Amino acid sequence: MSATPTAAQTPESRPLRLTFVSGSVLAMFVLIICSWTYIAFGQSWPSHGFFSGETASRAWSFLGDLAGKGREGTPAYLDGAAWAEAGRLALATLAMSVLAAGIAAVGALLTFMFAARNVMSGELAPYRSPVWVAWLGIVRLFYALSRSVPELIWAMLLVFIFSPGILPGALALAIHNFGILGKLSAEVVEGLDTRPARALRTSGAGWFQVIAYAILPAALPRFITYLFYRWEVIIRTTLVVGLVAAGGLGMEFRLALSHFHYTTVTLLLIWYLLLVLGVDIVSAAMRRLAR
Amino acid sequence: MRSEPPASRGRPRAIESRRAITLILIGAFALSLLGVDWSEGVFRPRGLIAIVETLGALFRPDLSPELLRKAAAAAWQTLVYAVAGLTVALLIGVPLGVIASGSIARSRLGAVTQIAAARAVLAFFRAIHELVWALLFVAAIGLSPMAAVLALGIPYGGILGRIYSELLQDVPQAPLDALRRSGASEWRVFLFGRLPMALPDMVSYTFYRLECGIRSAAVLGWVGLGGLGFQVQIALEDLAYSRVWTFLWVLVGMVVLVDLWSSQVRRRLAP
Repeated sequence: MSATPTAAQTPESRPLRLTFVSGSVLAMFVLIICSWTYIAFGQSWPSHGFFSGETASRAWSFLGDLAGKGREGTPAYLDGAAWAEAGRLALATLAMSVLAAGIAAVGALLTFMFAARNVMSGELAPYRSPVWVAWLGIVRLFYALSRSVPELIWAMLLVFIFSPGILPGALALAIHNFGILGKLSAEVVEGLDTRPARALRTSGAGWFQVIAYAILPAALPRFITYLFYRWEVIIRTTLVVGLVAAGGLGMEFRLALSHFHYTTVTLLLIWYLLLVLGVDIVSAAMRRLAR
Repeated sequence: MRSEPPASRGRPRAIESRRAITLILIGAFALSLLGVDWSEGVFRPRGLIAIVETLGALFRPDLSPELLRKAAAAAWQTLVYAVAGLTVALLIGVPLGVIASGSIARSRLGAVTQIAAARAVLAFFRAIHELVWALLFVAAIGLSPMAAVLALGIPYGGILGRIYSELLQDVPQAPLDALRRSGASEWRVFLFGRLPMALPDMVSYTFYRLECGIRSAAVLGWVGLGGLGFQVQIALEDLAYSRVWTFLWVLVGMVVLVDLWSSQVRRRLAP
């Protein structure tokens, strides 16, 4: 996605006119102004205005609370037992993220071929059939539905169905990421070099053999890369689905906040940041290995 | 998106590392299954009924005019948060992204320290999910729209900054060298070389982030800050599934519209 130098060589030489892009940027500015006007004047909030001195002082005293200022006893983030307890929750959170990534990966692996246009109705399809095109549409619709509903809302629905724990959270994350992974992988297949597949086809391979020996091996490294990228996003979101699905660090975080145990909040945030950092490092290493 | 040339495949090392990855992935997945507490039953007692009720309401959302008016107001509030949050993200992402690209430093040492410092700040901003920022801001400054805007703006600023810095670094070097040789300072090289070349991709990515921002802003409502997520939560607590789906369909509709807009912009900006 690098910009070609020709695209921006002589911006001044072109006459300034309203294209779709410049119009969109303009519309964006209008939206920004409307939004800030609405926020500043359009609502009556019970609390103080923003940018006021009071807001700043409350934010400052909150930071003090997080550090445990003015409280007796050791703060939770210096307490070994509390560390171990939060570590157990962090481990459950990590398991939740792996489970989510795994379920999403299995789901996407089983379906993404059916969402690739060239495999289902284009040059790689064995024959043109409206049934196959319908399959393509159905799988794509599922992808769109599952990824356009955010993880938290999936989690809110799933806790009605599953008993609380890491499973509903993992499933909520998995459903959302299934749609994203599936769409991205289908796009990879659509962008593949089809010459090896066609060579196999002309030498007598069937549809399944073409998929298994030409398409899948070429698409898998990309798929693995995307999977690890999504894992980095998933670990950040585990805390959020945990808030409603009662699994891992999230639930404890919410409880600590509502009970004003601010030093525990600090401890949980430290574990959360450690998890995020650790997953980023492992994921980068695995992506290098997969390349 | 072409695959790599076939010459790089089939080497023994590549095959070995693929086996390793497969084993690691399967092993990690199996271990994570142990983390689930299977002993107490996976489903809630009335869970299956809840599935049927939830899915049953999918295609018969409540479409009374009163509720639709409420949904429209919630959608507008969600859009406001997304746009205002993106403004904050730009205020964070543009300066930090420029610094993290190391392109305005005067010396080599200056560039290295600037890149490291700006990257660390950006990484911290985006390490924490926007909803976690929201909980923290609500605890710190109370239920004010500022909490929503900052909660969205800070992690998005971290992402924008990182992508901007990469785009600014990846521009073709030859035109920059030409500018330098004709005596331009690093600032001028940046203003008349780097920035114009990276700008189309930067605008394109920003529009993509607007798309994501709508989704995130809807979710922010959950902590009590209003918008579509808040309405979904209230409806869920009332067990009014048909109302839940009204708001969810409005959300999906809004996301699709912004998707279309942003993908049209990005298609026209693509090189």
